[in-house]
Amino acid sequence: MKTLIGFLTSALLATSLASPCWAAPWQAAPADDSEAQHADPPPFRTGPWPQEILELAESLPIQDGGRIKPLSTYAGFTLLRLTGRRRLEIPTGVGEETVQLTPIEWLLDTMFYTYQAADYPVFLVQNSEVIDALGVGIEVSNRRDRYSFNDLLGPQNTGISRLFGLANEYMPIDPDERSVVQKQVMLLAGNVSFYYQVLSSVLGLSIVPPEGRPDEYEEWGTGYDLYDASMQGRLGSERLAQLRDNMLDLDTTEWTPAEFAESFASMHETCVSMATARGEYEKIGMELSYYKADWIWKSLYLFLGAFLVTTALWLRPRNLFFYRTGWVLVVAATAALITAIVYRCLIRDRPPISTLYETIVFVTAFGATVALVIEWINHQRIGLSAAAIIGVVGVFLSNKFEMLDKQDTMPSLVAVLDTNFWLATHVIAINIGYSAGMLAALLGSIYVLAKITGRKRDDPTFFRNLARMSYGVLCFSVIFALVGTILGGIWANDSWGRFWGWDPKENGALLIVISQVAILHGRLGGFLREFGLNIAIAFSGSVIAFSWFGVNLLGIGLHSYGFTDGIHSALWSYYGLQWAICGVGLLCLLREKNAASVGEG
Amino acid sequence: MPSLLQRPFRLFGSFGLSCTLLLFLGLLTWLGTLEQVHMGLYDVQKKYFESLYLIHWAGPVPIPLPGAYLVMLLLFTNLVVGGVIRMRGKKSRVGILITHFGILFLLLAGFIKLFYSEDGYVRLYPGDRSSTFKSYYRKELVLQQDLGSDGLREFIVPQEMFMDDYRPTTPLTLHSDMLPFDLVVTETMRNSRVQPKGPMFNVDTPVINGAYLKRLDPAKEAEHNLSGAYVSVVAKADGSSQEGILWQRNMAPWVIDVAGQRWAINLREEQYPMPFTIVLDEFRKEDHPGMGLARSFESDVTLIEGSSTRELTILMNEPLRDRGLVVYQSGWGPQDAGPGVPLFSSLAVVRNPADQFPLYACIVIAAGLVLHFSNRLARYVRAEGKAA
Repeated sequence: MKTLIGFLTSALLATSLASPCWAAPWQAAPADDSEAQHADPPPFRTGPWPQEILELAESLPIQDGGRIKPLSTYAGFTLLRLTGRRRLEIPTGVGEETVQLTPIEWLLDTMFYTYQAADYPVFLVQNSEVIDALGVGIEVSNRRDRYSFNDLLGPQNTGISRLFGLANEYMPIDPDERSVVQKQVMLLAGNVSFYYQVLSSVLGLSIVPPEGRPDEYEEWGTGYDLYDASMQGRLGSERLAQLRDNMLDLDTTEWTPAEFAESFASMHETCVSMATARGEYEKIGMELSYYKADWIWKSLYLFLGAFLVTTALWLRPRNLFFYRTGWVLVVAATAALITAIVYRCLIRDRPPISTLYETIVFVTAFGATVALVIEWINHQRIGLSAAAIIGVVGVFLSNKFEMLDKQDTMPSLVAVLDTNFWLATHVIAINIGYSAGMLAALLGSIYVLAKITGRKRDDPTFFRNLARMSYGVLCFSVIFALVGTILGGIWANDSWGRFWGWDPKENGALLIVISQVAILHGRLGGFLREFGLNIAIAFSGSVIAFSWFGVNLLGIGLHSYGFTDGIHSALWSYYGLQWAICGVGLLCLLREKNAASVGEG
Repeated sequence: MPSLLQRPFRLFGSFGLSCTLLLFLGLLTWLGTLEQVHMGLYDVQKKYFESLYLIHWAGPVPIPLPGAYLVMLLLFTNLVVGGVIRMRGKKSRVGILITHFGILFLLLAGFIKLFYSEDGYVRLYPGDRSSTFKSYYRKELVLQQDLGSDGLREFIVPQEMFMDDYRPTTPLTLHSDMLPFDLVVTETMRNSRVQPKGPMFNVDTPVINGAYLKRLDPAKEAEHNLSGAYVSVVAKADGSSQEGILWQRNMAPWVIDVAGQRWAINLREEQYPMPFTIVLDEFRKEDHPGMGLARSFESDVTLIEGSSTRELTILMNEPLRDRGLVVYQSGWGPQDAGPGVPLFSSLAVVRNPADQFPLYACIVIAAGLVLHFSNRLARYVRAEGKAA
């Protein structure tokens, strides 16, 4: 019975890290093993999951990461965490043919067709030396690849015990001092442990709402908890007994499809009604529709379309069709992004920004909106193009960030962030500052690039308009950057007892303010004329990038909430691009000045 | 041609000086941020942000720079001269003038905080009480005379008199007519441990009663430093001397008898009095369900002042403000406590006369900026409208 295997597995797992002498739950039987041939074959899914089961599974509430969410969200981020992908591609066994599984299909397979799922390549290993270290005899073709549970187990069933042995060996090493391979071993061991401890059985999921009010009992239970409670005779109600029976029935794998559907529906009904009674189910439908609608991806497609159309618009500046289509696409894309933000606010009962991921979405939406307002005022096509560029880059980055982070983008917050007042004031203000500052830097960069390439050389109005835009947006940015920075200090004064602590994130915000104020004073003092001003504004983009992401890479300070591993390259690419534009722009500026002084001479 | 008086006035009020100072402040902020990777925040603050000048090492190359304190002093002057005095009377710049006033107020708050604030912490288990709070960084020597039934007489030696965080100490004699002895501080260590001296190794510091002070590198986070000192007490009457080790984490002070008097000498974190006694009644920490991540932590406390008592709750983001003192819920511990193990509450305590100045400054600055830039925007929109 799989339940017993599950319990046995949990028990064994508990000791596995302490002792490398560990037996795996899935024993890959050799083909000529006569005993295995006589045993009941493990259940094998040969057709697609019925739609009604998928719908029930998606809307099943689960407690994870300190909040209640749909099982589909859980499955999505779990698959992302293990594989680095949102979908799982598995070979069908027929030639090169593959089939794609959605996260919920994969999770159902993992729980109910465990033997079959053990062949799915779900474990992403970044360094092939880890596989070599397991001694499982796999011929590694790529340095970075995905492996199934059975791959890691190996033909001798020793790979995973070797993995845990190594993890046990590396455990005492300071995490900062572990080698790349050691870090990968620890990560893989954690993922494998999580996979079969939690995912391999429906009993491992925290889907059982406690009876009682949420303020009395917050923590949801698992099927194992239910089983324990019933063994000790302290199962609360008939309803819980029914739920236990359903879960155990599902876990046996000795069901017919009709029995499975009946048990699953019953389990779903019980969990949902108990969660509803506690007032914890009301946001599930909203979250389901948020992820199904996938507003952020939709906005990416729309922004991409807008980018193509606005590019065409620069080739055919008088084409009204392109202009209007560009408007429609950018407005639709921005609206999609704003819809996503509103959804997230409603789901979390929070202001729009509480994580680094959300800053990207917000900054993008706000930047595109400001660019549209500029376009609406001056009809120069520049605002429209800037909105499309900001949209494409911002949404692409948000998706990239989500893929790298591999965590729920609506996580529980640390105590100091648990304040909607400051999230709605300081955080919004500072991000508006980021957003407008990045837009100003983009406009400044367009100006400098146009100067460098000699485009619009004969159109001084173009440059004058562009310069006014970049300057105006910079002024807008400085208001919010300055006020947001001081508000942050006031928040810190209320939380930690000091207005200013020279913490890296605080310093980053101050650097934005200083750079922008210096630019404004440089202009007022006559040190920066139109071209120089735009070079400086373009440069300020890299200051904002440093403040926004760069300081998090330092890994120090009180504000290191955000995940930033893996974004080094994106950040340095941006720095490089901005600095190159500014550097070449500066050379052009000097050349212009020389030419002017020669002319005067 | 400007007069001799006008020249410095123009210089101090010039845009050139503003830009130069802003660039220096930006550079110092950037360097001070990067330096925190290797150096603790406290030391970075002292070196880059609270100094008049500094030497920044770019690899092996020393670069002399003005400290942020000097830069901000000059910026304050520049703002007064150029941003207020020279700007007054210009109607179009009213918003900027207001903003400059706000920034001056903010800088003033910073200077007041730097010179007149005290900050520290109180760590209490439920039932504990305290009427003082301790500094995170500063140390003091305390000499207590046992007066029997009359209690204790206490002499405090502030850190400046016996220990410099950044320079090795030279032997120093502390003398007072009120003491029957001179206290000689022979060596201090910013970070140290007391260790027993074994037979198999030698040490380069004195061994007293089988123990010695082991000098350690300063901790990156300055509050983790445990200071220590070698001291000797020289009796004024007969010149006899007793040597001892003081260590910040000692369980008990060093007790000596001099001229028939009993004295206790201790090295401890500097302590500041509070205008009330604070009693921790209960500490609550809530985690997010199913996680080890704290969602909230709060302390129920009773404030006792004379015969009056007041019960209240201090929680994250909602500090207690009372008579110039602000008490914050800053942390808890032990971090590795298992279920059922009592937790202590860490309360940060700050006495800052300019506590609320930044809030007022923020309102003034926001009003000034909005006024100025909304005027500019209106002009821009009008100009674009005409152009169209």
